[in-house]
Amino acid sequence: MNLIEMKNIIKDYYLGETIVQALRGIDLKIEKEEFTAIWGPSGSGKTTLLNLIGTIDEPSSGDLYFNGDKINNITDNNKSEFRNNEIGFIFQTFNLIPVLSALENVMLPLQIMGVSASKAKKEAFMRLSDVELEQYVNSRPDKMSGGQRQRVAIARALITNPSIVLADEPTANLDSKTSNSIIEIMKKINKKDKTTFIFSTHDQRLLDQMDRLIQLEDGRITE
Amino acid sequence: MNQWIKLSFRNIIKNKRRSFVTLMAIAMGFTAINLFSGYTHSTYEGMRASAIRGSGIGHLTIYKKGWNKFGKSDPDKYMIDKKEINKIIKIIEENDSVILATPRLDISGIVSNGRNSTIFMAQGVIPADDKTILGTFFDFQPVTGKTLNTKKEYGVQMATDLAQYLQLKPEDDAVVMAATLDGQLNALDIQISGVYDTGLDAINDKFMKVPFRFAQSLYDSEKADRIVVLLDNWKNTSIVQHQIMKQLKDAGIKCEIKTWEELSAFYSNVKNMFDRVFLFIFSIVLDIVIMSTVNTMGMSVIERTREIGTLRALGIKKRGINMLFAIEGAMIGFIGSVVGVAFHMMIWFIIFIASPTYTPPGSSSPVPLQVDFLPGTIFFMLMCMIFLALIAAILPARRAANQNVVDALGHV
Ligand SMILES: Nc1ncnc2c1ncn2[C@@H]1O[C@H](COP(=O)(O)OP(=O)(O)O)[C@@H](O)[C@H]1O
Ligand SMILES: [Mg+2]
Repeated sequence: MNLIEMKNIIKDYYLGETIVQALRGIDLKIEKEEFTAIWGPSGSGKTTLLNLIGTIDEPSSGDLYFNGDKINNITDNNKSEFRNNEIGFIFQTFNLIPVLSALENVMLPLQIMGVSASKAKKEAFMRLSDVELEQYVNSRPDKMSGGQRQRVAIARALITNPSIVLADEPTANLDSKTSNSIIEIMKKINKKDKTTFIFSTHDQRLLDQMDRLIQLEDGRITE
Repeated sequence: MNQWIKLSFRNIIKNKRRSFVTLMAIAMGFTAINLFSGYTHSTYEGMRASAIRGSGIGHLTIYKKGWNKFGKSDPDKYMIDKKEINKIIKIIEENDSVILATPRLDISGIVSNGRNSTIFMAQGVIPADDKTILGTFFDFQPVTGKTLNTKKEYGVQMATDLAQYLQLKPEDDAVVMAATLDGQLNALDIQISGVYDTGLDAINDKFMKVPFRFAQSLYDSEKADRIVVLLDNWKNTSIVQHQIMKQLKDAGIKCEIKTWEELSAFYSNVKNMFDRVFLFIFSIVLDIVIMSTVNTMGMSVIERTREIGTLRALGIKKRGINMLFAIEGAMIGFIGSVVGVAFHMMIWFIIFIASPTYTPPGSSSPVPLQVDFLPGTIFFMLMCMIFLALIAAILPARRAANQNVVDALGHV
C-alpha cells in the first residue's frame, strides 16, 4: 500500500478577480522509506504540494490518501492529531519558537501529544545528539547559526517518529557546505529509522543524493 | 501543562516594556478598587455604629401601630402605656440576640435661661440603658460636666451650640416649657448636668438628652412613644425583627417595627452614593484592564502569528492555541494583581501609620481616614482580574487560532 496517494489534486488560489492555478491535476504515489525530492523552478507549486500532503492546506478538488485512508475531508481536530502523529515539518525559515531553548523546541511535538516532560526531555536529548547538537541543548535559537537551527528543526521533526518528514527547501537559507551536511544527516536517519522524506528544492546540487525525483512545472508533474 | 505556562511566562517577559504597562494598569486598578472597598467598608461600619449607637436609635425601634402616620396629631392615642411597655420589654428580652429593650419618649418645647429662650428637641432616655446603647461611643461624645443619672431627675445633657446660645454651663439652672398630652402648658426646672457634642452639626443647636421620667413629667404622662431594642449584632437585625413581630402579634400587641437602616436616612443615602461611586470606579478599572490586556495580547498575537502557524503545523489544536493565550492572559492578570496586592499593602500601611483625618459633610468634628484591610475582597478581586485578563486574551487569540495555517506560516 502506498503511504501517500494523491488523485487528481487541483489547487487554485484566488487573488481578487484572478485565479492562480498552483496545482493543475496532480496524481502521485509515495511509498514508505522513500527519499524523494520534488524539484522545479520557483512558482511551480512545490510548497503548495507539500502543504497539501501535510494537511495544513486544503485542495480545491481531488483526494488525498494516507495508508489508503482518505484524509482530505477529516475534521480540523483530526488533522491536528494526524500532523502531530504522522508528519514532521522542516521549514525553509526553520520556524523555531524564539523563547524556547533548542531542547524545549524539540520537546514540543511530544508535549502536544501529552507525553510527560521528563520522557520528552530524554527523547529530545537523544534527537539532538543525533544531529550533533548536544552542546546546544540549552541555547535559544537566536544564539545559533542557520545550520544549527535547521538541525534543531530536524530533531523536532523527527522526535515523534513520524511516518513522513516534509522539508520545504530546507537548505535554501544555508551555504552549500552546510546544505550538504544537512542532507547527509537526513539521509542517515532515512536509512537508520526508515523514515520517509519528501523534499522540495530548486537546488540541482542536491539531486544526486535523492532516491527519486519528481519534477514539477507550472503545477504539473513532468517527471 | 508546565511547558505551556513556561512558554506564556517567557513571552510575557520577552516584551518587558509592553507587559510592564499592562501589569501596572492592572496593579493600579486593583489597588484603587481594594483601597476604595476598604474605605467604604470602614465608613459603612462607622456610620452604622454612629447611627445605631451614637444617635441612639438602636437596631430596632418599636412603635404602636399608627404612630408614624397619626402620632403627631393624636400622640396620646398612639403611645405605649405603662402596662404595655412592661409586657413588650418582657417578650423582647426573651430573644437571645437582644441585649436590651428600653422605652423612650422624645419631647420638644422651649428652653429658657430667664432672658433668652429657644426651641429644643430632647430624647427622654433611661440613663443606664442609654449608656449601654452608646457603648464605645460614650468615649466619642465627651461630656463636660456630668452625664445623665437617675439620682438627679431634672439634670439634663445639653448640646454645645444650644448651651452656648443660652450661655449655660454645667450646674446652671434653666426652665423648659411644653404642652402636656392634654394640651396644658407645663414648665419644669432643669439643671445642666453636662454639655456635649452630638457629632451632628444640624442638631447641635437644639438638642438635649433628659431622663425618661423627666420627659414623662413634662408631658404629664406615664407612656413612651417608642421602645428601642439593642442587638448583639447588626447582622441579626432583620431576623430578630421578624421574630419579635410575630411574638408581639401572638401576644395581641399591635405595633410597627423599624430597623436602624430605615430610620437612618443618612446611612442609606451615603451608602447608596458610595455604592454608585464604587460601581463607577469598578467599571472604569474594568475598562482599563480589558482594553490594555486586549491591546497587549492583540499585538502579541499578531507578532506571533508565525509561531502560532508553526504550533498548529506541529499539531496543536485550535483550542490549544486559545488555551495558550488564555494562560498568558490569566498570568498577566495574576502578576498584575500580585503587584497590586503589594501596592495596596504599602498604601494601606502608610494610611495606618499616618492616620490622616478629615471632616465628612454634616459632621461636626474631623474623623480619622480609615481603610479596612479586607482579605476576602482582595482574593475576590484577584480572581476577578485573572478572569478578566483571561477573557481579554482569548478574544484576539480566537482569531489567530481560526486562521489558515499556511497563511499564518507565511506571515512575516
Ligand atoms: N497564498 C497564495 N495566494 C495566491 N497565490 C499563491 C499563494 N501561494 C502560492 N501562490 C501561487 O501559487 C503558485 C505556486 O506557488 P508555490 O507552491 O509557492 O511554488 P514554489 O514553492 O514551487 O515556489 C505560484 O504562482 C504562487 O504565486
Ligand atoms: Mg516554495
